[in-house]
Amino acid sequence: MKSEKEIFEKIGKASYGVPEGYFNDLKNRLEAIPQEKSVLPGPWARVRPYLAMAACFVALLVAGNSLLRRTVSNNPAEQLASDATYAEIISMTHPEIFMNAIEYESEDMTDEDIINYLIESGVEMEYLAYSGGNQKY
Amino acid sequence: MTDKEIIELYKSGQKDRAFREIVDSYSERLYWHVRRFLCSHEDTDDLLQEIFLKIWTALPSFRGESQLYTWLYRIATNEALNFLNKQKVRSALQFESLTTKLEEKIDEDPWFNGDGMQRMLMKAIQRLPEKQRLVFTMRWFEELSYEDISEILGTSVGALKASYHFATEKLKSFLEKNSELF
Repeated sequence: MKSEKEIFEKIGKASYGVPEGYFNDLKNRLEAIPQEKSVLPGPWARVRPYLAMAACFVALLVAGNSLLRRTVSNNPAEQLASDATYAEIISMTHPEIFMNAIEYESEDMTDEDIINYLIESGVEMEYLAYSGGNQKY
Repeated sequence: MTDKEIIELYKSGQKDRAFREIVDSYSERLYWHVRRFLCSHEDTDDLLQEIFLKIWTALPSFRGESQLYTWLYRIATNEALNFLNKQKVRSALQFESLTTKLEEKIDEDPWFNGDGMQRMLMKAIQRLPEKQRLVFTMRWFEELSYEDISEILGTSVGALKASYHFATEKLKSFLEKNSELF
């Protein structure tokens, strides 16, 4: 039986090759590493990614703000159209009730209006008097 | 130029020149060292670029506590093992074994110029456990001393000798089973 050394010596060591002129090319590439890496990024280059991130954040804020301004309009006609849309969307609520409620809310309500509403809705006078008596103006 | 002279050159501020000397002295040796683990010329070529980049960036931290060449070999070995571990994960995701993949690389490598027995030996080496593979390759192919291998791998000489013994036993057994030569 042959020893391990004899076996491996018989097989030999050389088994891999490389393309012709490879090691010269490799040395040239590797020797260029210090030059490539000596150009360290300056302070501006290091801060730039963070500035870009901050700019993106601000841009998002501005875009969101302008989008909100467009969708939530102060124009009464547009607001009415928007409310009508909501009334249509909310299927549980009858559109007419929804619109009437908005109409009431949009008008300036006086105390008189509220009292009239309560009387009409059947709230007892004693209770009204009691509530009114407790108010501190 | 000796390792000591290279270090002196680096310490004197001639860093680029010292690095060029390292490339000149070690690029070919480290290429073969890595190639035997990766079994592919292309992978070795890519990894060698990363290894020397790491050497360049780590040179300021080299304190001379170990020999320059064992320090370089340690970087190269660790990088090769990291590369193989990544390959192992990739292979596992594809339900393949790394050993099979490395054996395929040996078969497909256009730069493999060995005969059938050498091919079989290279394949058998890939089947060894990691430590045995490392020790056998460094001892048999690169003829490094156990002391140097111990410094590179951070393992005791006794453990290395045992690993080498088990590796040769397994390889011998594999070759005897799979070859008519013996």
